[in-house]
Amino acid sequence: MSKGFASNRLTLLAVGIFACFMGVAVRLVFLHVIDRDQLLRFVDKARRQITVEHARRGTIVDTHGNLLATSRSEITVAVDPWALEEYLALDANLPRRARKQAEELAKRAQLAALLGLPAAAVEQAFQPALRSVKLENDKHDGKPDGRTKDRWVKLREGVDEPTYDRIEALGIRGLTHERIYRRVYPAGSLAAHLIGYLNKEGTSVTGAEHRFDLYLKGQDGWIESEKDGARRELAQFRSREVAVQDGNDVVLTIDAVVQHIIEDELKTIAAKYNPHFATIIASDPMTGAILGLANYPSFDLNNFNKAAPEALKNAATEYVIEPGSTFKIVAAGAALNEGLVTPATSFDCGLTTITYKGRELKLPKEDHPFGQLTVAEIVSHSSNRGAAQLAMLMGEEKYYEYVRRYGFGQRTELGLGVEEFGLLEPPKRWDGLTITRMPMGHAVAATPLQIHCAMSAIADGGTLLRPHLIKEIRDNDGKVIRSFPPEKRTQVLKPSTAALLAQLLHGVVGPGGTADGFDIPGFEIAGKTGTAQKIIDGKYSNSRYVASFVGFFPASRPEVVLTVIVDDAQLPAGKMASGRNVAAPAFHHIAEQLIQYLEIQPVTPAARGLLAMQGGVR
Amino acid sequence: MKPPPAHAFVNQLIALTLILLIFSGTLGLGAVWVRQEISGTANRSHALEGKIANVERRLDEVSAEVAAALNPDALLRQNQLMLIGLESPREIQVRRVSVSPELRLAAKRNLEIFSVAGPAPRPGDNPYSFRVVTASLH
Repeated sequence: MSKGFASNRLTLLAVGIFACFMGVAVRLVFLHVIDRDQLLRFVDKARRQITVEHARRGTIVDTHGNLLATSRSEITVAVDPWALEEYLALDANLPRRARKQAEELAKRAQLAALLGLPAAAVEQAFQPALRSVKLENDKHDGKPDGRTKDRWVKLREGVDEPTYDRIEALGIRGLTHERIYRRVYPAGSLAAHLIGYLNKEGTSVTGAEHRFDLYLKGQDGWIESEKDGARRELAQFRSREVAVQDGNDVVLTIDAVVQHIIEDELKTIAAKYNPHFATIIASDPMTGAILGLANYPSFDLNNFNKAAPEALKNAATEYVIEPGSTFKIVAAGAALNEGLVTPATSFDCGLTTITYKGRELKLPKEDHPFGQLTVAEIVSHSSNRGAAQLAMLMGEEKYYEYVRRYGFGQRTELGLGVEEFGLLEPPKRWDGLTITRMPMGHAVAATPLQIHCAMSAIADGGTLLRPHLIKEIRDNDGKVIRSFPPEKRTQVLKPSTAALLAQLLHGVVGPGGTADGFDIPGFEIAGKTGTAQKIIDGKYSNSRYVASFVGFFPASRPEVVLTVIVDDAQLPAGKMASGRNVAAPAFHHIAEQLIQYLEIQPVTPAARGLLAMQGGVR
Repeated sequence: MKPPPAHAFVNQLIALTLILLIFSGTLGLGAVWVRQEISGTANRSHALEGKIANVERRLDEVSAEVAAALNPDALLRQNQLMLIGLESPREIQVRRVSVSPELRLAAKRNLEIFSVAGPAPRPGDNPYSFRVVTASLH
């Protein structure tokens, strides 16, 4: 009897369990087979999410690692005005609801203070409102009337992290935020034309930002996963994940201190002469690496949208000017290189006309009357007629070939945005006087960077290098993944000719030279002044000039090439805005600072150095 | 031979089913526990990722602020505001030293020490005996 009872109970239990299993199985069939599509659609919509992880843009640093451009997170604070109302509606206890409301009101007053907004504006944002939507999109609040709850009311953009921490600590209901990376330029206007900027959409526009965008931008990643009711990611349901790859860091060749020195000098020039524009370029002649490049007018990278359009232009590559006497290095270098003259060969620079290929040509005017001048004196005194005769010795074709070899009429391909070719016509398009005018830097136009590169070729033993701004690319661990060696463009002059020409250019700052008095003892400044008349209404002006001084130092062991170009400097009446008056002092002042900063050693030890060798004993 | 009774077979079947249920239940619970652990770990790892990202953001923030404070213009402004009076030397003020200044100064100092005028040797003193002359004597 007892055995039968037990058997019945067990049978009953087994049937019960079986029935339960059957129930589960039926439900599973419904869930996984019959309602599968509908449920999947719902789950996909409600829980599945694809989160894009934005890559952090790489930084731009100078040659010593000083930060020039970086990305900083900024927060846009917004409010969902309905969240508070819905939260309060859940509480049936009216006094408690009123207390909560008062607490939130007090917090909002603090929020207004933290955001720097009027309290009324914050209160206005917290007022629940409806906004218009397309009828087909109006599915959220159950009433298809073309109006839906506005759940995103922006309070303020650009809130920094510490401020947001304090806002978050308030625990305001309905407050929401969006974090974005914004490009910041810690040095403000320093090297503005070289670094470039990103516009409001985050697109690189100019400068290194644009040129090296491929390295800087990185690659966004994404995660496919599910979210919970509070829209938080359920990490355990991640199904696919593509890792974000942050951008690489770009190391530029510029040196923030050198850049600052030249920008400081530009500010002085701007304050003193109020020019149309001015450019200063410093580079290493042996590598073509730009150490600093600055223009006036310039702009603050953090406020690029407030800058005048003229200030955004990189004058060093976008403006063309007649080089003036700095162009005489072409005729002098070419004639010496061809062996047609020696530094001692003399020419009659008092002539007003000359017979060339059977025609009598009028020679250009001189600033000062000259007689017989040697080639060395033609360079140091900057004789227009002497330079013309040197070019005529070679003939149009040969001279033109040298002009091209120096890089004129071609882009330097620095790659920072717009770059002009300059203006250089082939000999077949020259008029009869061009062979007499071009050697003095007229009838040709070049960018300041082209002029700088031409002088750099002399400093580098006659080799024309491509100027470059990028030193290397580093990954996030600081490992160098690509470096950029110097790139040779062409051999302009023989090394011996370049060395000889460098010594002749040193004469420019010597007695009788156009920049007499601007030498730095022991450092052999070699350079060339230039004073080009500006073309106003189709005529050469007698009162407006482009003043320049282009040179390098020390002449026998060049370490820095420096170019100072000032367009349309305003000087007191009676004083000419010449290369000597305007550009040479700036060159001298910068050179003095660079010698100390770059620890350039003197070529010839100065006598006063002996004092230090005595350990201070007099 | 007598066949086993039918209810005995049912009892065995039920017992086996129960064992199977306990076993599969244990497995199921184990799986749930493992899944729970996986979720916990995934969420903790997610939270850590968030923290790391946050720290990196702070680092970027601080780096940008440091760079802004250290840029030459800012330093010059500080120099003026704090009346420090730092100024770059002019070329005329610079003395260049071509030998090691440490060695030069050491040589100068040694020269001073060893040329100290001591008391004149008395008659009978051994002129070749050594005297210790320290810097303090000077």
